Parts: sequence; structure tokens; C-alpha cells
Amino acid sequence: MRHYGTLLAGSAVVLATMTAPSFAEDKTVSMIQCGDAIAETYPDLIKKWEAANPGFKVNVEIVGWAQCQDKITTLAAAGTPVGLAYVGSRTLKQFADSDLIVPIPMTDEEKAGYYPHIVETVTFQDQAWGIPVAFSTKALFWNKALFEKAGLDPNKPPATWAELLSDAKTIKEKTGVPGYGLPAKTMDNTMHQFLHYVYTNDGTVIDAEGKITLDSPQNLEALEFIKSLVPVSEDGPSAYDQDDMIKLFSDAKVAMIEGGPWVRNQVSKDIQWGVAPLPVGPKAKGPGTLLITDSLAVFKGTGVEDQAIDLAKLLTNPENQFLYEKTHGLTPLRPVAGVDGLVSEDPSWKPFLDGIAFGGPEPLFLDYKGFQNAMIDMVQSVVTGNAEPAAALTKAAGAIDQYK
Amino acid sequence: MTGSRGATLFALALLLPAIVYILIIVAYPLVDTFTLSFTDASLRKTVKWVGWANYQKIFGGDFATIIVRTFVWTFFSVAIKMIIGTCGAVLLNALVPGRALFRVLTLPPWIVPMAIGIFMWGWMYNGQFGMISGVLQNVGLLDRPLAWLAYGGTAFWATIITDVWIGVPLVTLYLLAAIQSIPKDLYEAAWTDGAGRFYRFRRITLPLIVPALVTMSMLSLIATFNSFDIIWILTQGGPNGQTTTMIIDTYKTAIGSYKYGEGAARAVMICLFLSVFCFFYFRVVSKISTGEAK
Amino acid sequence: MSSGRPMIDRYRWYEYVAIYCGMALFLTFVLAPFVEGFLVSLKPLTHLFSSPYRFWPDDGSFDAYFTMWQSVPLLGRYIVNSLLISTVATIAVLILVVPAAYAFARFRFPGAGALLGAFLAVNMFSGAVLLIPLYRLMRSMGLLNTYFAMIVPGVAFLIPSAIWLLRTYMLRIPRELDEAAWVDGASRFYILRRIILPIAGPGILVVALATFIGAYAQQFIFALTFNSKSEYMPLAVGLFAFFGKERVVWNELMAASFVGIAPVMVGFIFLQRYLVAGLTAGAVKQ
Repeated sequence: MRHYGTLLAGSAVVLATMTAPSFAEDKTVSMIQCGDAIAETYPDLIKKWEAANPGFKVNVEIVGWAQCQDKITTLAAAGTPVGLAYVGSRTLKQFADSDLIVPIPMTDEEKAGYYPHIVETVTFQDQAWGIPVAFSTKALFWNKALFEKAGLDPNKPPATWAELLSDAKTIKEKTGVPGYGLPAKTMDNTMHQFLHYVYTNDGTVIDAEGKITLDSPQNLEALEFIKSLVPVSEDGPSAYDQDDMIKLFSDAKVAMIEGGPWVRNQVSKDIQWGVAPLPVGPKAKGPGTLLITDSLAVFKGTGVEDQAIDLAKLLTNPENQFLYEKTHGLTPLRPVAGVDGLVSEDPSWKPFLDGIAFGGPEPLFLDYKGFQNAMIDMVQSVVTGNAEPAAALTKAAGAIDQYK
Repeated sequence: MTGSRGATLFALALLLPAIVYILIIVAYPLVDTFTLSFTDASLRKTVKWVGWANYQKIFGGDFATIIVRTFVWTFFSVAIKMIIGTCGAVLLNALVPGRALFRVLTLPPWIVPMAIGIFMWGWMYNGQFGMISGVLQNVGLLDRPLAWLAYGGTAFWATIITDVWIGVPLVTLYLLAAIQSIPKDLYEAAWTDGAGRFYRFRRITLPLIVPALVTMSMLSLIATFNSFDIIWILTQGGPNGQTTTMIIDTYKTAIGSYKYGEGAARAVMICLFLSVFCFFYFRVVSKISTGEAK
Repeated sequence: MSSGRPMIDRYRWYEYVAIYCGMALFLTFVLAPFVEGFLVSLKPLTHLFSSPYRFWPDDGSFDAYFTMWQSVPLLGRYIVNSLLISTVATIAVLILVVPAAYAFARFRFPGAGALLGAFLAVNMFSGAVLLIPLYRLMRSMGLLNTYFAMIVPGVAFLIPSAIWLLRTYMLRIPRELDEAAWVDGASRFYILRRIILPIAGPGILVVALATFIGAYAQQFIFALTFNSKSEYMPLAVGLFAFFGKERVVWNELMAASFVGIAPVMVGFIFLQRYLVAGLTAGAVKQ
């Protein structure tokens, strides 16, 4: 029997070493920032805040984009939420509905400070659930050299879908280079790309009462337009996302792409490019673009919610926020004094700022992942030729109803 | 010494640590999953009992397609692994100069962290910058870039090929060991009778490695059925859901969309299907085991 | 050498051609991704995303192998972490599996078959399915963000194949050996320690190697979910974090991958002969 005892003791040791005690952290405001590194302006601001709030420490963790949203959600779902986190504003409705985040008190004056439509992207049931911290609008980039090579006017970007399609066709025929870069990979930006066409053709996905309005003539035109773009786009759109598009555009392998202001900094120096407002569809009543915000959300159950809100407000006040936007090349959230200087310094900002007033949001869905997957499926089924636009649209409209 | 009471107690004592470990780390979460599958567990803090609703929901969707796809994917992956593995083992068994080097060169896909291998394949499949499309264009088999992960058909096969690539070294090695443990005198007798190389392969090698093939294919089957990283990293189940297998579907539901209840129900379905597999697995294996005990 | 080789193992010239062609085909498939990865590591970033495809980069260089240490400052740490996690997991698996495999190989007790089946059934539940409950379990054990968060669940899923492999090996050890010792009055534990373990040595080595590789190659999803401290991350996940960057420095990442896997590769070049020998000696039977 002694031997059995040895064996059991051995396994007990193994098991015991597995349960190392966890140590409690007191009064730490934990924060997750998505990206590669902490924002340049944050460490000083955090030090300042810690000095003003004795007894509290801020612990910032940097998580790469690929895992960031899932990680934040997993932490919250497991009951160990992070104090303050950087999230896509589209997730706020689900977080709020699941009672995972707290509302952010926002005065009318604070709200009035932002560009139009921005506060709406974080509002749900008349309360703000996050503080906008990053913002983008979309515009069309075109390669002037390829336009010229195809015999097109290099300084005249397409203004309508019809022009876009005919320009792309001409370029493809004359130069052999795909005229347009169409991303349709299994990624969120495939849905974003579709929304570009929805908002430039006076379409909507869901109305103010929460009725699904996806299956409309406007959106059918949008989806049919995507189908018509496939032959003049790069081979196999469903293998490429928007980041790949930037690389292809940079290598003159596609002549036009649609993207955010960050594209300007990533395009190779060898490319002569221009940037213009998104071309509009036949039913457009005016210009349109997709407006996406990311927010700082304050999670419930950390015991430091008030401190987290206070910190978030400091990080995003008009002065600090603009500095952050400038260093990161983001579209300004507020029409502060410095914005005019931005355009005169770099005219390529213009289409992005002009678009704000006409922007439509990422639709707020309770199950935004479910919604997003249904939209991606719809686009991919059309792009790969597995379904006709009308059928795909009706199917998706039916599917997303359960996610709202 | 077998069969007595003392022996039984001793055996159980030997097994106890492993049993306890599995109970805690696998069985307990499994029960948790099973319970979850009857609830509407999600990000919400309140959890409601919903009975069979999650299961009804599964069969309302395109679950049947996913099941069929999973079986087809698994079948081809395992079958190709076995065929390539057998060829590789036979080649490695040949007494030619350089075979020790060849054997070493077979191993890397098995040894590298899977994620790294998969990222390399991601590059291979890239239409614009990748090797396969590039080389095929250079030699004139393709007239324009082909993005292998862009189309349902090619993506389906591309994920299978990568799964095969990761599994082949172990299968090859295992079958090589099986071939090498075949008594030499069998071959010599056949050789003396004038049997050719191919005849000896068909009549001696192949029948004698069947048990190893069965074992390996069954083990491989379970692993392949649950193969997650490859499809997730390469296509995330796309395009248009055409590489979505049961495990991808479960992960998408449970972790991707935070529907833990529904996801758990799907996980239970996977276990159910695999149990059926395993039932046959043990039938076959026990048949072979009784044969080999002599 | 060849003079000592029996006639049966002599090949005609066309057989040599066939064998080497087959080998070349086989190894092309096995090694092509590594070639691709290596070429990527040599190409300057601007050249990477340019076509038409050129197999051999004319402006290739090993720069990435030097600059990567700035991009992946923790690379050395990741390599050590990977080895540490795999080693500890392997030891834990052996502690649990050696006695268990012996029990299955030698003793007939009620429910033995069912129990073995239950162990093998563990393979059916992949980590991806049990992620959420496992996360809760790790949290209640206080293991999140420790090395154990990656080791503990990993071990559970390595146990089944290890038991299977070792049991098969031990079945080959002649029963007469331990029965003789038993008759001589040796205790059961003595028999296991002094008779079975030494003979099963090669088998245990095979199982250890296979388990180590299993732990090394598959440490992904648990590390991704249960650990957020980058200084504890294993190689694959540590590098994966850089794939999430806005601008992926592919050439450096591939370079880092190659340097990262080098230690284990080198180790395996030396150990692989034992692997095949061990498998041949017992784990496989006709």
C-alpha cells in the first residue's frame, strides 16, 4: 500500500502546483488599447490623472487588432471585465443590452462639440454608452498614371457608379490592370464596402423604429453594382480585404480603391494618386459615405467605473483628442480650431471632412456579429456567383431580422 | 497476477491520477457545456432555461449542409493523408543513398507550431504574391493570378491540402515503422520465388500494414474532424461559408457571436457524431487487437 | 557498403530514377511552404507586394534577420517559453500516462475497455469546443495569465494519444518477465519500476517526443485565450500578435519564425532516429 501512497502523493503535488494563488489588485483602473503601441499622448495624460486621483493606478494593456475585440468581450463575459476599453462603436448596443457597460453621462454642450452624426453612433435608448475616440469616413482613391495610360483624364475621377464602372472597364481593357479593387474577404470591411454603396445610393439597412429596410430597390442596385464590378476587379475578391487592397493599389495592381484617411499614408511614394468623394449611385439624392467610430467603453462591475469615466473624459477632451487624431492621422471628431489648418496643410483631407455631413453609420444591431456575418455571406454569395443579387438580398434581409 | 482483487486495486491506483485529471479538465467543462446547451447563455448575466430550443434552432438552419461538408472534408483529408503517407513510407523504406536525409526532411511540418506553418500556406495561396499562382503563371499553366482562397471550390481543397501537409509526416513515420517491423524473411521468400517488387508490395507490405493504417486513419479522423486552426486562420470558414465545418460553425456561434447556449448545443452535436465514429473505431480496433494478442 | 547488401535490396537504374523522382515530389510538397516562407524572409518589404511573381528575389538580403530583433524584442523569450511549456507539459503527461498505460496493458479489471474508450474519447472534444467552460475553470483555479493556463488544459488533450501509444508498446513486453518476478515475490510496484520501465524505455522516449511535439506545435488557442501576458506567450502566439498589426512586417515575421523554430528542429534532427526506432520496436505491430 505504501507504493500507492507514493503515487497518490505524487499526483497530489502535481495538482497542488497547478493551483497557484491569485493575488488581488487594489484600485487599479485597467485599460485595454487596441493597436501596436500605446498612443503617444497617453502616458503623460495618465500620469497627470494618477496625480490628480491618489489611490488609483492605471494599468494599460496593448492588444493587437486581430484579438482585441474578442479579448475584451471574453473578459467581460467571464466576469472579469476590464475597466476601460477601446471598442468598435457597433458593439455598444450588445454590451449595453447585456448589462456589461455603464452609460456615459454627456452634457448637451459636450454632444454639440462633435461633428453631426457622431454622437448617434454611440447612442442607444437615449443614452451614450461610449465616448467616441476614433473616427473615419471613406473616399475614393485613384491611380492617375493608370488613368492616363488607359486614355482617361487623370484629373477626373469618376463621380457616379456608371462612370466608375466604365472607367474601370476601360482601364482593364487598355492596360490589363484590374480597374477596381473590391474587397470581399470574410472580414468586417466587406460589410463596410457594401455600406459604401448603400449610403451612396440613398439606401438604409434599418430604420429608426428598428424595422429592417435592407430589401429595397436602392440596396438591390447596390448589390447588382457589386456584381457588375467583379469582372473589372482583381481576381477573386473574396480572398482580399481592405488592407490587401492598399497593397495592390500601392503596387499599381488595381486602379481604384475605396478607403479611409489612413490609406493616404500607406500608399507607396511611387504612385501618383488622387482622392475624391465616393461615386454616387443612380438613386442618390446627394453625396454619401460610411461613418465609423470607435469608442472608449466603461465596463460594469470593476468598482472603479466613475474613475474610468473620468479618465476617458480626460483622454478625449477636445484638446487632447485633437492632438491624438493629428498624431494618428485620424479624421477629427470635432470641428475644433485646428481643423482648417489641417486641410490647408494637406488638401487630401478635404473629401474625408466634406463627407462627414452625408455619412451613414454602421447599423446598430444587438447581435452585430450575426448581422455582420449575414452581410458578408450575402456579398460573397454574389461575388462568387453562387447567388443572384435579388435572392441574396431577400435572404439576408430575412436573416438579419433576428439579430436586431 | 491479473484479475485478482489486489491487481484491480493496483490498476485503479495507477489510473487514478490520470482519471482525476481528465475529470477536472475535460469532464467537468463538458458537463458545463451540456448544461449550457439547454440555456440561452450569452453575454447577458441572466441565464434562462430554454429546453430543446437551441437544438431546434440548429436543425432549422443549414446544419445539414455543414454536416455533409464536414464529412466530405474529413474523408478526403484522411484519405489523402493515408495515400501520401503510404507512398512516403515506401519511398523512405527504400535502401538508397540519402534516405536518412530524406527522413529528416519529412518531419518539419509536424514539428513547427501549426500556426506558423499555416501562415506560410497563406502566402502560398495568395493570388498576387504567392508561390503557387506565381509558379503556375511562370510555367504557363495559368494565364492570370488565381487566388486559391477566393472561391468555394479551391478554398475547400486548399484547406484540405494544408491539413494533409500537417498530418502527413506522422502518418509517414508511423507507416514506415510498420513496414520496417515486417519480418525480412517474408520478402526474401517471395523474392526467391521470383516475385517482383510491386507484387511484393501488394501481397506482403500492404496487407501487413493494414492494422497500422486502420489505427492511424481512425486517430487521424478524430483530429481532422475537429481541425480548427487551419480553416480558421486561412478562411475563417469563408468564402460564403464554403469551408465552414462543424467545429468552425460551433466556434463562430459560441465565441464569435457570444451565443454560448447555442454554441454548446452545436458542440454537443459534434460529440454525438464523433461518438458514432468511435463506436465503429473500437469495433475495428478490438477486432485487430484480439488478432494481434497471439 | 553495397557489397554487403543482399541482392533483394539492389535496385535497377530505372528503379533508382523512380525512387528519387517520387522522393523529390514528396519532399517538394512537404518543404514548399518553408521555401516560400524563407523567400518571404529574404525579400524587402516593398518587393514582397509586387508582381509579377519572381521566385528568386534579385534584391534579396538577410536584413530581416537583423532588424527583426527590434520588431520582435521578446523573440528569445518566446522561444524559451515554448520550450518550457512543452517540457513541463511532457513531464506532466508522462507522470500521468506511464502508470495508466501500464495498468491498461497488464491488468484485466472490470470496465477496463470502457475506461480506455473514455480516455480516447477525450480526443473528440477539442479545446475550441470547451473554451468557455475551460476559461471559467482556469479563472476559478486562479491560473489565468500564468504558464499553467497554457500547460494544464494542454496536458489533458495530450493524454489520450500518449496512453494509446504507450499501452500498445507495453503490450509487446513479454508477460513472462513480470510473472517470473511476481513469483519471486517482487511487489507490483517493484515490477513496474525495475522491470517494465527499463524495457519500455524506448517506448517512453517515443511517447515523450510525440507529446513534446504535440505540446509544441499545438500551443495556440489556449495561449491565445487564457493568457494575455506577452512575456509568457509561446512562440506561435507571440508572433501571431504581430500579425494583428496595422502594417505587418512579413519578412521579419518569417525570419523570426525560422529562428524561433530552429532549436527544436536541430534537436529533432538528432532525435528522430529514436523516434522511428521506437515506433518500429513496439508501437506498431502486424
